[in-house]
Amino acid sequence: MKILIAISSKEYSGPTLDVGMNIARILKASTTIVDVGQKISEFSMKDVSLANELMESWDIDRPGVDVLEWAYKYLEKNQFIDSQDMCDGFPKHSLVDSGAGRAEMLLQGSTIEDLSLILRNGEIIDELRDEVQTHEYDLTIIGGSGKRSMAHDLVQYIDSSIFVVNNFDLDQDYKILLAVDDSPGTSKAVKYGVRVAQAFNNKVDLLTISNDEHFGDEYRHASARAVKMMRRSGVEAEAHFKVGDPVDSIVETAGQDHIIIMGASTQSPIAKFFLGSKPLNVMRNCDCPVLIVK
Amino acid sequence: MFGFSARSISNVLFWVTRKKWLILSFLLSISFFYIPSPDGLSPEGHRTLIIVGVTLILIISESIPLPAVAILILIMEVILGVDTADGVASSFMSDAVFFIMGSLMLAVSLVNQGLDKRLALSVINVTGNKTWRIVLGFVTISALLSSFIGEHTVGAMMLPVALALIRNAGLDTDKATNLSTVLLFSIAYGCAIGSIGTPSGGGRNVIMIGYLSEFGMGTVSYLDWMKFTYPMLLIEIPIVAAIVWYTFTPSQKIMDSSVRKLKVKVAKTGEMNANQYMAIAIFLVVFFGWIFLSPFIGLGIVALSGVFLYISFGLVDWQDINKNTNWGVILLFGAAISLGIQMRETGAALWVAEQTLQYLEHVFQDIAIVRWFVAVVVTGILTNLLSNAATVAVLGPIILDMGGNAILMGIMTSVASAFAYLTVVASPTCMIIHSTGLISSSDYFKAGWKLFVISVLLLLMISTFYWPMLL
Repeated sequence: MKILIAISSKEYSGPTLDVGMNIARILKASTTIVDVGQKISEFSMKDVSLANELMESWDIDRPGVDVLEWAYKYLEKNQFIDSQDMCDGFPKHSLVDSGAGRAEMLLQGSTIEDLSLILRNGEIIDELRDEVQTHEYDLTIIGGSGKRSMAHDLVQYIDSSIFVVNNFDLDQDYKILLAVDDSPGTSKAVKYGVRVAQAFNNKVDLLTISNDEHFGDEYRHASARAVKMMRRSGVEAEAHFKVGDPVDSIVETAGQDHIIIMGASTQSPIAKFFLGSKPLNVMRNCDCPVLIVK
Repeated sequence: MFGFSARSISNVLFWVTRKKWLILSFLLSISFFYIPSPDGLSPEGHRTLIIVGVTLILIISESIPLPAVAILILIMEVILGVDTADGVASSFMSDAVFFIMGSLMLAVSLVNQGLDKRLALSVINVTGNKTWRIVLGFVTISALLSSFIGEHTVGAMMLPVALALIRNAGLDTDKATNLSTVLLFSIAYGCAIGSIGTPSGGGRNVIMIGYLSEFGMGTVSYLDWMKFTYPMLLIEIPIVAAIVWYTFTPSQKIMDSSVRKLKVKVAKTGEMNANQYMAIAIFLVVFFGWIFLSPFIGLGIVALSGVFLYISFGLVDWQDINKNTNWGVILLFGAAISLGIQMRETGAALWVAEQTLQYLEHVFQDIAIVRWFVAVVVTGILTNLLSNAATVAVLGPIILDMGGNAILMGIMTSVASAFAYLTVVASPTCMIIHSTGLISSSDYFKAGWKLFVISVLLLLMISTFYWPMLL
């Protein structure tokens, strides 16, 4: 299991990092924290790198290093990093260029074995997609800012499961809203649901939606299986059945106190490109964190 | 679907969305190719304009790397029959491209000498610790230096000085406070107004001089150029300082501890060493070469002579030059200048110039105003979307074909291409200060539009009242 956590600044990425690391801890996943910095125009790329080289001689960090340092301090404070590493503080000099504008710092984790910090520059979707494709992450965790404009590209082009930590309040108790139907994506979503529920000790609402009054046997079975699996894992779960438009019902039920978990659409990419998909529309319209499982 | 996996289809879709401008430019060029040439435009000219369109779309959208755009220009010039392969090759390299190459290499050589700390100290010694004096000092030094050694060099050298002051001011550097905004913009805008001062201030000035002599329209010497533009530069220094100060007035009026820490920092690096003296001496040699020798051997060869001296005296490693020189930009300007020359030779530039004059004359009634409008306002706007040198390379031939005094029109266009105040991509210095993450894109417009309007008006006055006296 590999997790990628995308952060952008100290001000806005606190919840993302916190949620991400808690999930990583439960899943014992090897975890990478990435900061994607400003895109540099090609005309000025070398001028900027010349300026960055000069900054080193002034002991000024290049842009983005301060964000990594902040993430490092978070890891240190919450004991994700081994104590022997900690006494030296942020190991700035172990940030090594690994080519194509990507710099990497490998850390010795305590609870999680492989822990690394990465700095990249460019368009965020391009950079995340490249990172996920080259290093095969299973889950990408990202903050909610700019969610609506990025939602489509995230869902469509990033190969891993995606958790958008949107409007997340660390002090609030969240329930999990798990969308259940007979699609192949559901069983994977249920597995993630169990893990996340264990990580945050949440209750789970299993929501099955039909367009009309009639709920098919497949729907009922899927819901029953999910409930059984939750119980077996010691997670408190309750099944609900609703009639209506799936996207509207999910968004409405979720409100602001749920984390939505649903399977990715199995439609062809071309249909999704032109028509959109349920997960995409949920992500566009909801006001709470969403996890889309691929 | 059709035996393709969902993943490969999704990859293709991703490619299409990222490359939509490339695809669009391809489709547009094919459709324009089959439209019959309008009256007064030769078939070669028609095809040259197709290449110009493709180039503009690809540079602005950045959908393929710049060196690829450069190569595409060369390929299209040959395939569309605009010129022979040898003809394209010989128009690809010129003294202007030598100059751009030499100037980028000189930048690496100079930046490597550690002169930035000396520079910081001398600025601070003059300005003292009042913030407004530091802002004025930054604008002045950036403008004066960049007029001789180019804005990209000065931008890179001044950035750490500003960041050191900001960091030692005890503020949280990730907050875009007015102090960091005002200091960084004083560098960027100072460099921008400075770059008009001499031919060596920016590659685009040399491109224009190259066009003027290539088209047989006149020669401008280094000192002549300075007579035209330096007064404007000097007038703009206090204007820029005032505009950035009043747009982003910082709450810290005195930077006592920052200045003191900066002095301590520089003191630790010790006295100037022999290499640094030698580096300055070589630059002075280059500078006098530009003034006295360039009429005979060209600005580019003088710049390259300087690079030769830096390398052979061991002041800079070839590895450093190789790594930090933007070869892609050199290729692109080579190709863009080649395209500019083809625009002139195929008559495409003349045709566009005539059409523009014809249409705009209805609007403005006076041909002199139309010329001024295109040379100043259109150049000024395009320079903010494209890079400033690419703007001159593409617009230059058209403007020179619009009539009027070619030398004045040429210098006016070059000066207007320095009005790159409004966007991040407009100039290398704008990008350098943006890369710190301390400045948001909207800040450029806040101060930039005032400066843009004032610069346009100032250029209008200077070109109407002062320039004719020089002729």
